[in-house]
Amino acid sequence: MPNQIKQKAIEEITQANDLKKLEEIYRTYIGRKGKLTEVLRSLKDLSEKERKEKGKIANQIKQEISQMIKDKEQKILSKKDVNDNREWIDITAPGIKIPQGHLHPITLVQRQVEDIFQSMGFSVLDGPEVETEYYNFDTLNVPKDHPARDMWDTFWLKDLNLLLRTHTSPMQARYMEKNNPPLRIIIPGRCFRYEATDSTHDVQFNQFEGLMVGENISVSNLKAIIEEFFKQFFNSSDIKVRLRPSYFPFVEPGFEVDIKRKDGDWLEIMGAGMVHPNVFKAAGYVKEWQGFAFGMGMDRLAMIKYQIDDIRLFYKMI
Amino acid sequence: MKISYNWLQSFFEKKLPVPDKLADLLTFHSFEVEEIKKCDKDWILDIDILPNRSHDCLSHQGIAREISAILKYPFKLIDYKKKIKESKELASKVVNIKIEDKNLCPRYTSRVVVDVEIGPSPKWIQERLMTCGLKPINNVVDIANYVMLETGQPMHAFDADKIKGNKLIVRRAKKGEKMVSLDDEKYDLDENILVIADEKDPICIAGIKGGINPGIDGKTKRIILEAANFNPLIIRQSSKKIDLKTDASWRFENGLDSNLAQEAMNMCAYLIQEIANGMVLKGMIDLYQEKKQVKIVNLDTFKVRNLLGINIPDKEIIDILKRLDFKVKGIKDKLQVIIPTRRLDISIPEDLIEEIGRIYGFEKIPNQLPSAILIPSKKSEDLIYQNKVKDILINLGFSEAYNYSLVSNKESIELANPVSQEQKYLRSSLMPLLIKNIEDNKRYFENVRLFEIGKVFHLDKHQAQVVEKKKLASIISLDEKDKNSQEFYRLKGVVDSFLNKIGISDIWYDDAITENRKAEIKVGNELLGWVGEIKSKVVGFEIDFDKLVQLATEERIYATPSKYPAIVRDISMLVDYTTKVVEVLNLINKVGGILVRDVDLFDIYKGKNIPDSKKNLAFHIIFQSDDRTLVDKEVNELQDIIITALEKEGGWEVRKQNA
Repeated sequence: MPNQIKQKAIEEITQANDLKKLEEIYRTYIGRKGKLTEVLRSLKDLSEKERKEKGKIANQIKQEISQMIKDKEQKILSKKDVNDNREWIDITAPGIKIPQGHLHPITLVQRQVEDIFQSMGFSVLDGPEVETEYYNFDTLNVPKDHPARDMWDTFWLKDLNLLLRTHTSPMQARYMEKNNPPLRIIIPGRCFRYEATDSTHDVQFNQFEGLMVGENISVSNLKAIIEEFFKQFFNSSDIKVRLRPSYFPFVEPGFEVDIKRKDGDWLEIMGAGMVHPNVFKAAGYVKEWQGFAFGMGMDRLAMIKYQIDDIRLFYKMI
Repeated sequence: MKISYNWLQSFFEKKLPVPDKLADLLTFHSFEVEEIKKCDKDWILDIDILPNRSHDCLSHQGIAREISAILKYPFKLIDYKKKIKESKELASKVVNIKIEDKNLCPRYTSRVVVDVEIGPSPKWIQERLMTCGLKPINNVVDIANYVMLETGQPMHAFDADKIKGNKLIVRRAKKGEKMVSLDDEKYDLDENILVIADEKDPICIAGIKGGINPGIDGKTKRIILEAANFNPLIIRQSSKKIDLKTDASWRFENGLDSNLAQEAMNMCAYLIQEIANGMVLKGMIDLYQEKKQVKIVNLDTFKVRNLLGINIPDKEIIDILKRLDFKVKGIKDKLQVIIPTRRLDISIPEDLIEEIGRIYGFEKIPNQLPSAILIPSKKSEDLIYQNKVKDILINLGFSEAYNYSLVSNKESIELANPVSQEQKYLRSSLMPLLIKNIEDNKRYFENVRLFEIGKVFHLDKHQAQVVEKKKLASIISLDEKDKNSQEFYRLKGVVDSFLNKIGISDIWYDDAITENRKAEIKVGNELLGWVGEIKSKVVGFEIDFDKLVQLATEERIYATPSKYPAIVRDISMLVDYTTKVVEVLNLINKVGGILVRDVDLFDIYKGKNIPDSKKNLAFHIIFQSDDRTLVDKEVNELQDIIITALEKEGGWEVRKQNA
């Protein structure tokens, strides 16, 4: 019986956090009406031999408990002393915010595009925003004085025979003039279109061009690369890609590319195609090469990924 | 173009798939059907015909041929020539046609129809025209339009009795000539515009718009029909000059098959004979000097498989080509494909491969990752540093802005065709729009920190060239309670910190620029940009990003740190409020010589115990040698020399010195 009392007392002392609680424990066990005191009192009815034995144990326990209470008392007091010397803190209060900036959504998209294509062996290049008619149209097999040129509404610079690039495609010829296949590049960058603005059109937008040229690069390869890109971009294996016939003078065959995400609708996402032989010719290639090219709007990707419904929001800093 | 479903059906005996299904087939094999609309008992398919097929598919016939190839439905044209009952009188007696420059008009065909009864056209023609968005006028005009919508060949009809001298001349207009169109618009003409004229005046702007004078009206009896082929460039030029696009000009601009003219002419004459009870005169006037010939394209079927990445057998390739009405000759895998003149778009093997691919079905092409040579991918330094700098700045609490490259304030480069006054010039600095961002944001936040990396543009006047530069700009707006100077130093700290992080360390600030409260950021002798106060409570910097990349990527030589211990002495002095830190630094370095390894400013104090016109500067001076351990005595002597120089040369009061 005294041992059970001891167990219980130790438990309570260990859990006690303040002096008030300790005092309560003292009263419960060792005080005038305490449990141990009562045990000691009840000894007087026993035989002397029993009284001696049990009395000894009970007294020992009493001493142990009162020592433990004393120790704990010291511990609590010492803790309190230290605290008292310091400024009091409420560790549950919220932390002070460290100012943290954020990247523009198009930058986030561009980084992902760069990373994914780099992982597939594509080099990443930059190109000029002010272009010549030669690189923006002529090298790309866009006939002069033909309605095909009207597909790109162009800003021209006053008194200069220059324009603002309408796509990132001028870098195709600029790069191929200096590099021979096999090659794999992407070119992200800002482009301009002379057009009225609305929620899906703006005078400037961000595109990235892709170009892969080799001996046997095929439409089948283009499909696979695009699908791989979107799987990684949306971090989902459930992405479908389909090609529809379309026309861009610098590719033949030319495609519109649609993608479909899990449970989603088909979305028209970019133009693509197999590089037109005249583009290779303009870049000075003599041998016959095969390759694909594509151009994708990063604004559109960001709108889909971050569910932004107005393209003009990209240029408002609020 | 708006295409009528029922009209398409009229080309085939077999029933067409339902409109939705048909639209899908066209979208995946030919052209995008943008919209399907029910219209009475008919459906309108709005089809987006792109410039490569405008020459043959801005017509119901063109679309029907596509359907025939996709669905393997037989397609046959009606021979209208056989159905015309010609009179004995010769058409060439009624009108004399002359082409002045056959380059501008490779072909001109005409027929004359007499005893015509002008009236409304039959209901079925009216309905089809309206379905396709045209307004019915009278039977002859409606038939001409109907033929255009069916064949793609624009037609024109003149009232023969209103033509002076019985002459039609295709020529360039003369400067000063004028014409009033059928819809009563006045046009000033010049030599850039091709016209059809009678003996005296232009009566039609060729391929674009007819004149009111020889127009068909209720009294018209004898008509001269025109189905011509004009040079696409002259039509495009004329159309731009008079700023008018019509159904006819749209088609001519894209180029048309010159062999289409007689087909359309016969159809038109036949319909007038049947519907307006006209009598077609004998013969078709046909000025056609260089008859267009079929093209032959050689095709290697291996290339078809290799480019598309599919295993399509020769037999299937040949079958598809035949369905497209191409004739195929040749042995085994080397084919000779004969292209009808109507397909102006096909001239090289790749063009045929596209035809084969789309009819076969692009959706059937499997995905196959390329097997390519392993080339390490590279990234331009520029983009690498762009990403690095952006990361550093966002960690310093700045958010990234994207602003327009086009601005309203005058700059050296102006757009020839701006969309608005707000966006008329190319920006030469990133700062103005960042300042505007701050103002816009002020309504919502007290403290705003922004940056942008982007291109700016300058004019090189000597070479009339545009200089395009990438810049980095950043801006901080302050709380009202903040001291400007505090924030100025903080921004300088930002510049130091991020330049250090990308490996540029020997930065100094040059106050040589005339503007107050602005300093140039320099590395050695190179100017990197500027930092300073922009206006009250707004500070910022702008840096030449290309130069930054150049400096950051320069080869750096590793300098072994000295093996011998450094000794640090602090020095503190009272200087005039306007004394620049750099003056003090320069003097310490000058008199200290090689043993002064570094001097760091660690405190600027102004306030209690300091007179208003003064401030206290405190520096750590680090003494170190590469070849020996410095002793206290030596350092103390050097320290004394520095103090003396500061007091004598600088005229500053050195306050304390602790060992």
